[in-house]
Amino acid sequence: MEAARDWSAFDRPEVRAGFGSATAQGCEVLLALDGVHCAACAGRVERLLAGRADQVRVNVAARTVAFRHQPDRVRISELLAALDQAGFAPQVLAREEPAAREARRRRLAFARIGVATICAMQVMMLAWPSYFGVTPEPAIAQLLRWSQLIIAIPGVLWAGWPFFDGAWQGLRGGQLDMNAPVALALGVAFAASLAHTVAGSGDLYFDTATMFVWFLAVGRYLEGRTRARAGEHLRLLAGRRSLTAQRRRDGLVETVGIGQLRAGDTVVVPAGEALPADGLVLEQAAELDESLLTGESHPVLHQPGQNAPAGSINLGSAPLLIEVLRTGADTVLAQITRLLDSAQGRKPRLQQLADRIAGHFVAAVLALAALGYAAALWRGAGAGAALNIALAVLVASCPCALSLAIPAALAAATSKLARHGILVTNAGALRALASIDTVLFDKTGTLTRPGMSLRRVVPLADQDADTCTGLAAALEQGSRHPIASAFAAGASTYQARDLDQIPGAGVGGTIQGMRYWLGAPELAPYPARLPGAESADATCLVLCDDSRALAWFELGAELRPEAGGLMDELRRRGLALQLLSGDAADAVAAVASRLGLSMAKSRQTPEDKLAHLEELQASSHGVLAVGDGINDAPLLAAARVSAAMPQGAALTQSRADLLLLGDSLAALPLALDTARAAQRRIRENLGWALLYNLLALPLAMSGHLPPWLAALGMSLSSLLVIANALRLGPAPSLVASRPSQPDAEPARWPASIC
Amino acid sequence: MASLYLLIPLGVGVVIAALLLFLWASSGGQFDDLEDLSSRLPDDER
Repeated sequence: MEAARDWSAFDRPEVRAGFGSATAQGCEVLLALDGVHCAACAGRVERLLAGRADQVRVNVAARTVAFRHQPDRVRISELLAALDQAGFAPQVLAREEPAAREARRRRLAFARIGVATICAMQVMMLAWPSYFGVTPEPAIAQLLRWSQLIIAIPGVLWAGWPFFDGAWQGLRGGQLDMNAPVALALGVAFAASLAHTVAGSGDLYFDTATMFVWFLAVGRYLEGRTRARAGEHLRLLAGRRSLTAQRRRDGLVETVGIGQLRAGDTVVVPAGEALPADGLVLEQAAELDESLLTGESHPVLHQPGQNAPAGSINLGSAPLLIEVLRTGADTVLAQITRLLDSAQGRKPRLQQLADRIAGHFVAAVLALAALGYAAALWRGAGAGAALNIALAVLVASCPCALSLAIPAALAAATSKLARHGILVTNAGALRALASIDTVLFDKTGTLTRPGMSLRRVVPLADQDADTCTGLAAALEQGSRHPIASAFAAGASTYQARDLDQIPGAGVGGTIQGMRYWLGAPELAPYPARLPGAESADATCLVLCDDSRALAWFELGAELRPEAGGLMDELRRRGLALQLLSGDAADAVAAVASRLGLSMAKSRQTPEDKLAHLEELQASSHGVLAVGDGINDAPLLAAARVSAAMPQGAALTQSRADLLLLGDSLAALPLALDTARAAQRRIRENLGWALLYNLLALPLAMSGHLPPWLAALGMSLSSLLVIANALRLGPAPSLVASRPSQPDAEPARWPASIC
Repeated sequence: MASLYLLIPLGVGVVIAALLLFLWASSGGQFDDLEDLSSRLPDDER
């Protein structure tokens, strides 16, 4: 007997640091698990870890389990040993190893198919006399029997081993899963044939058993390939994680492991390579490919001083220099990967119900197979025919398709949305999203860009507009006030010193020996004839030197370029659109008017917004709340489904069900369409799975479905469910008004993350 | 018919040899990439 593996090394802090990320609530761990094939296996893993770890999420598509545990209360080695003893063979791997593990698994699965193919063909050749009613002389017949047995041993026992192993692990965990009827059918067929071979008389089922294994092995192989496609985005994200980085220190460049990077390090990113950490672009602007992170298919220009996320690729021809801000599990890339994995592993209520039904269904199938066998014997059909009926019932009614119906569609939908920059943090939200009829928007930071933009400059003296803007930009340099963002785009050639911030009034400073002041017109030191603001929601400023007013600036919130097109798209989908904002009435009315929103409320406190939302939901409206993340947290948490753009807030702090990573609302219609399509696929899949079982069962019970045809039907029904889910397919182009490069701004990645 | 006493065991031996050969090739990674080779061929020609 194999000795139990010693997992204690994984308790050592330096080892644990390699695979777990510590948070205030405990240590978060992601493990690869072999032996997880279906929802029932996922349920067993969850039960194994229940009480010893929190937030256990098993991802059947990626064959991983994520959980959080308290190292001082439960050692990780205990959890690993428990999983190992239950047959899941947990693997704590280096980052590049999931791909190698998947390749090994695929190679083994392919080898099993090959063995099953060769054996099934040869066993059938040896069984040919029985197909044509030929009776060879007894010695030859016995030689044929033994030859079939020898070839069927690898064909059934080795090639079909995953089904026996799966069934055994399920039974040990007190669970009847999909493998139970399959293993029982194979075992009974093989045992009966073995007994008849030894006895030298009776029917043989080696050909049926090997062919059954072949169908199942091919079906499971194709199913695995198809499911792997659904989890492809997760693997692509994982693949973007660099293992090494080129660190520049004291003028020398050295290659170091990613774990050695620290915030503040300077890293050189060669052309064509991925950024190893989140960082600030230094020295020169660079174009980056962020498509995997945000869905933005065009290169995004990053100016010096702007944040650039790990995993984006340097598209320039020269090496890029960045200052490291965050590394490892703290990077945006790692957070997106964790959120996506967590969302794919989380089971919505409908799937939990389907899993429970499937569990009961397996027990019913076993009972029906026994009943079919007994009934056939009672009818006088003979032991051979009765066994055929029992085998066909066991095989045909295996509820694989029922268990795959929902996770396949949800995995395909979340993967598709992730490819387009929409991170679904709660798979159950897709169902809610499909049924919404009202969208509530926040204004600032949601329909408008964060901060302010410069709308108009009117020179009041002899200095031109550019000079005045440059002087104002110098005065606002380094300021965190929203007004400063309006001048940030025009990098000033001037340097201001002796800056004097006067809260609520303005800012003064000395530029090239002269004193300047920028602030509210009513507080300007020198009166001037000022032009009126063109818009009711504008903020006006005056720039003065030490003797006169130089220029007048009109600032305002800039509407997102995609906002207009988005409203049209949403209206076309029959949705009611509403605007709730804490801003003044004029500002809200101006935005509502430009977007054609008939319902807009101003001066809304978070409590007011919540009350409005509850009123809507109490009258049976399905509401999608769209906000900027943190400020709207109560609204987002209370809405049936919520979406947020995570700029200025950590991804993992956001309460939203959908995170729009590309700093653009343009992907919202795609999210709606995908959610609705996913619901259709789920309904179709459940309908098909139930219809197949309802049709196959009576046919098998009545003896009209031979076991080999039952095997074919069961494999095809599972594949059909997967293929139907993948019909969610590639996305159409997003809203037409989405900005294209080079005008597009980079996504505003969080400045500080947990 | 007497030849069957030789041919059937011989056939079984050939099957076993084929199985071993297949497993050897499979474990050597011969079947790992069944899709990319066809697309790489035109690239090699360029």
